[in-house]
Amino acid sequence: MKTVVIAGYARSPFTPAKKGELAKVRPDDLAAQVIRDLVTKSGVNPDDIEDLILGCAFPEGEQGLNAARLIGLMAGLPASVGGVTVNRFCGSSMQSVHSAAGAIQMDAGEAFICAGVESMTRVPIMGFNPLPNPAFYAKSPGAYLGMGDTAENIARQWGIGREEQERFAVTSHQKASKAQAEGRFKDEIVAISQGNRTIEADGCIRAETTAASLAELKPSFDQTGTVTAGTSSPLTDGAAAVLVCSLDYAEKKGLTPLARIRSIAISGCAPEIMGIGPVKATTKALERANLSAGQIDVIELNEAFASQSLACIRDLGLTEDRINLDGGAIALGHPLGATGARIGGKAASLLKRTGARYGLATQCIGGGQGIATVLEAL
Amino acid sequence: MTAINKVAVIGAGVMGAGIAAQVANAGVPVVLLDIVKEGDRNRNVIAETAVQKMLKADPAPFMSKAAAKLVTTGNTEDHLGLLGECDWIVEAVIERLDIKQALYRRIDEVRKPGSVVSSNTSTIPLASLTEGLSDAFAADFCITHFFNPPRYMRLLEVVSGPATRPEAAEAVSRFADVTLGKSVVVCKDRPGFIANRLGVFWMQCAVSEAMEQGMEVEEADAIIGKPMGIPKTGVFGLMDLVGLDLMPHVLGSMIGLLPKTDPLHAVHREMPLISRMIAEGFTGRKGKGGFYRLNREGGAKVKEAMSLSGGQYRKQIRPDLEILSTSRGDLRKLLASPDRAGRYAWRVLGQTLSYAASLVPEAAADVASVDEAMRLGYNWKWGPFELVDKLGVDWLVERLEADGLPVPALLREVGGKPFYRTEADRRQYLGTDGAYHDIVRPDGVLLLSDIKLTREPVLKNGSAALWDIGDGVACFEFTSKMNALDPDIMALLGKSLKVVGKQFKALVVYNEGSNFSAGANLGLALFAANIAAWTEIEQLVAAGQETYRALKYAPFPVVGAPSGLALGGGCEILLHCDAVVAHAETYTGLVECGVGLVPGWGGCKEMLARWSTLGKLPKGPMPAIARVFEIISTATVAKSAAEAKELLFLRPTDSITMNRYRLLADAKARALELARDYQPPEPVELTLPGETARVALEMAADGFHRRGIATRHDLVVSGALARVLSGNGADVTKPVSEGDVMEEERAQFMRLIRHPATLARIESILETGKPLRN
Repeated sequence: MKTVVIAGYARSPFTPAKKGELAKVRPDDLAAQVIRDLVTKSGVNPDDIEDLILGCAFPEGEQGLNAARLIGLMAGLPASVGGVTVNRFCGSSMQSVHSAAGAIQMDAGEAFICAGVESMTRVPIMGFNPLPNPAFYAKSPGAYLGMGDTAENIARQWGIGREEQERFAVTSHQKASKAQAEGRFKDEIVAISQGNRTIEADGCIRAETTAASLAELKPSFDQTGTVTAGTSSPLTDGAAAVLVCSLDYAEKKGLTPLARIRSIAISGCAPEIMGIGPVKATTKALERANLSAGQIDVIELNEAFASQSLACIRDLGLTEDRINLDGGAIALGHPLGATGARIGGKAASLLKRTGARYGLATQCIGGGQGIATVLEAL
Repeated sequence: MTAINKVAVIGAGVMGAGIAAQVANAGVPVVLLDIVKEGDRNRNVIAETAVQKMLKADPAPFMSKAAAKLVTTGNTEDHLGLLGECDWIVEAVIERLDIKQALYRRIDEVRKPGSVVSSNTSTIPLASLTEGLSDAFAADFCITHFFNPPRYMRLLEVVSGPATRPEAAEAVSRFADVTLGKSVVVCKDRPGFIANRLGVFWMQCAVSEAMEQGMEVEEADAIIGKPMGIPKTGVFGLMDLVGLDLMPHVLGSMIGLLPKTDPLHAVHREMPLISRMIAEGFTGRKGKGGFYRLNREGGAKVKEAMSLSGGQYRKQIRPDLEILSTSRGDLRKLLASPDRAGRYAWRVLGQTLSYAASLVPEAAADVASVDEAMRLGYNWKWGPFELVDKLGVDWLVERLEADGLPVPALLREVGGKPFYRTEADRRQYLGTDGAYHDIVRPDGVLLLSDIKLTREPVLKNGSAALWDIGDGVACFEFTSKMNALDPDIMALLGKSLKVVGKQFKALVVYNEGSNFSAGANLGLALFAANIAAWTEIEQLVAAGQETYRALKYAPFPVVGAPSGLALGGGCEILLHCDAVVAHAETYTGLVECGVGLVPGWGGCKEMLARWSTLGKLPKGPMPAIARVFEIISTATVAKSAAEAKELLFLRPTDSITMNRYRLLADAKARALELARDYQPPEPVELTLPGETARVALEMAADGFHRRGIATRHDLVVSGALARVLSGNGADVTKPVSEGDVMEEERAQFMRLIRHPATLARIESILETGKPLRN
């Protein structure tokens, strides 16, 4: 078996949809700049890249037309490099990593760019033309349930109160703003230029968020519910990318691997409680790695909502001190297609930074799925 | 003549900022400057804050958010140079002569030659303003006195000095008229000009007489309001609106400027109650309350009023004044009544009319100017001299004499003749020379009320009329109560389409009511529903659809010309016109969902067609449907004609007329333009996805329901709307005709009108005027 590694990670700043600084930047331009930077920074020879695997949750409009191929060319990758756009909603760019890992194991390539992008400003969630299947909707309305409503379901079924969600959200902002203040995002963020403008800072983080300020917000999805804009990840614009290659290749070319991919898993769950998806996926991935949850040192758990994050933490028996050390999606933002590459790359970088042994990146997926990646320091 | 392509306003207070906004509303770039605020890092903070505030204000000074982009903000220290590009500079700074003059000197250094400078002063004489300034400045200077709020008040008083170039005043007046939509009244250089001179006297008189005659505020306002054709705020409600604290200032300055012989001195007196209210912060709506307030203490909302006799707030009373019902419509009877209501009415109106007569020719050249100023500046239905004509000038003189009140020369000199008459099909007013003069409308002004003096309608029934407005153009007028659309209107419209086809080149749909039409006659619909006359209701819906469709495909052009509310069926008729020339203050929307219905006269179909072809939306079948669903299901009303364009209630090619008086002439011109080589439109085919779209829309509505934004019945109504907009049973492979959509409109309308929750909504609107959220 080949050893597959993550040997580079880069992302754009994450900024709020519509009002953020990336609102006027096309998603293809955004992703292309991140990929170009990753290629330079990682030192990979572009001619060696087999494929650009791009995750995107709503691959239409400016991020349509097999965006991966176009973005690859825009990023200056040689014409010989392939391009495929994959969609697993929020898990799209983690799927890119998994696809690359599988291909490398199959001897179907040595190096892959695994990227993800979402402009939630320029392509709305649900896309421009939502056309659900009427007969199926009548039978299974939950399959189309809005994400906020699934977060309410989790809060209710797992008995997670509003205060607990708000405490979790405040912690996320505190961790992120501390990381930002200490310059810990510098290495991963690629400054994005548009015309004579440069955008280089995350825009969603609110250092001033307190439990009291969150307590004033009205519920966003259900007037009798507990989930607010403050305990949900914001609509975000952003792109992220990692370089995935075999350890042999990295060593041969003198690249700097961050961590090896130890195991991966995907799993399904009821669509109405999609937020619990990481539990099963993580359990499967840990079994495949022959590890227990307690052995994981560094965890990137995507904070789609505070309620589902807390439910996953509880069911997996995790402790919060190992989770999202530099803040999670509630503070940083969640550009759907880009998040998987961000948390995969982040977990790998954190292993390097902290010197810890095992890492986990996992996330829930709309429609009822979970995806997980277990990493190990080299 | 100086063409005005760019304007500057100096002073970003309520008036200055509002004037700048109106210039921007007209699509003209404007510079708005104010002083540098001491200690603030942002040197433009005052002007910038003013614009930001206006973007949030309600009623909105801007007609669209886009208009705000035409305002360039700055300060008078760094940016006075910008004035060099401006053709008209309006000064609206604090009412201090020294400050104004110092500013004028600086303006004079940078302005371009021939540019006009005007002051928005309400109290300082023009002669003082230009004293000591250059001849060139005085020649280009005049007073332009706007009323608050500048967007909504139609009056502009213009005062020229002896040195003012006539072309300068003319350039500004023409711009104010055509571009800003104001009606210019020429005033003499006298304190308070016309409207405030008389208005302040009237208010002072009404307040002090109320106190002396022991009236309560509700009683005074009931007497002064409707019977005298004055907005229902009366006088105390009006004081609450403008601010109690403003009155002493304006009154003080006028008292200081007017000679001792002026009757204002006689009605002016100290009012301890008002002084106390101001001191305690009860300055009106902007303060803690005024003569009226909503008391929220203890969680309940109680409507209260200040007792003039007791000096304390108490629960509002419903005035019990018998004479108001027995004298209804007969002003003289009210004024002649010996009870206290009659005495109060007489004391206020008698003195006010006497004072008005004393202003001609002192402050105004003629009676028509005074009447226009009061109609447009104070929203009086009738000007003071129209009121004199109602009473009879002899009767008035007799009563004034009997009460020992002044009888100005004008009232004696007319020798019993009315101030207005219609002679040889012309409306005329009595001049100070004792002769009648035609009321001359400016070029480009055409009023149906003038035409109606001279002609018989081509067709007419109880709810509508068809007029010949000349040059081969006909005008269809609604005449029903509130211009509500009813079967008679549909019948006459159908008939008119046939007549116009034979005898005219084009048709304009227009009327001179305050509102174009607030929609269908709901009372009639409710009555029909209560007696289960379903067939009749369906026939009415079908007749409306057919008539509007016939209007759209008529072999001649039809131009809609709305002003004020154009809601529901009133909006739908506009959607079927070939073109619309809208007054800028047109408020249009499809509001049927608010009363539990869907638009039933082709509104859904027209909006779908517009958003599919004209909407700048992403591709695919859903964006247009979703946008129309959003607009109709939330009963969105455009708050200006500019906003109506954004919502596609108006097409990009439809035009906007700023001045209400110019609307008919502009619409007629557009109709004649279209009449050359006119071809009726081709029927539209729509691509609608059917069930899948309905499900998508209902999913969105369900989400709104869970969030507490949509009520249970909202879901029923929006579900019906979703069926119409998705094209019930349609498929993307099979285009849908206009007729198919209309059939579904009708079916869903009929389904909803049988629903008890819809009927409850209609009842609520009819009984309380408020929408029921069931």
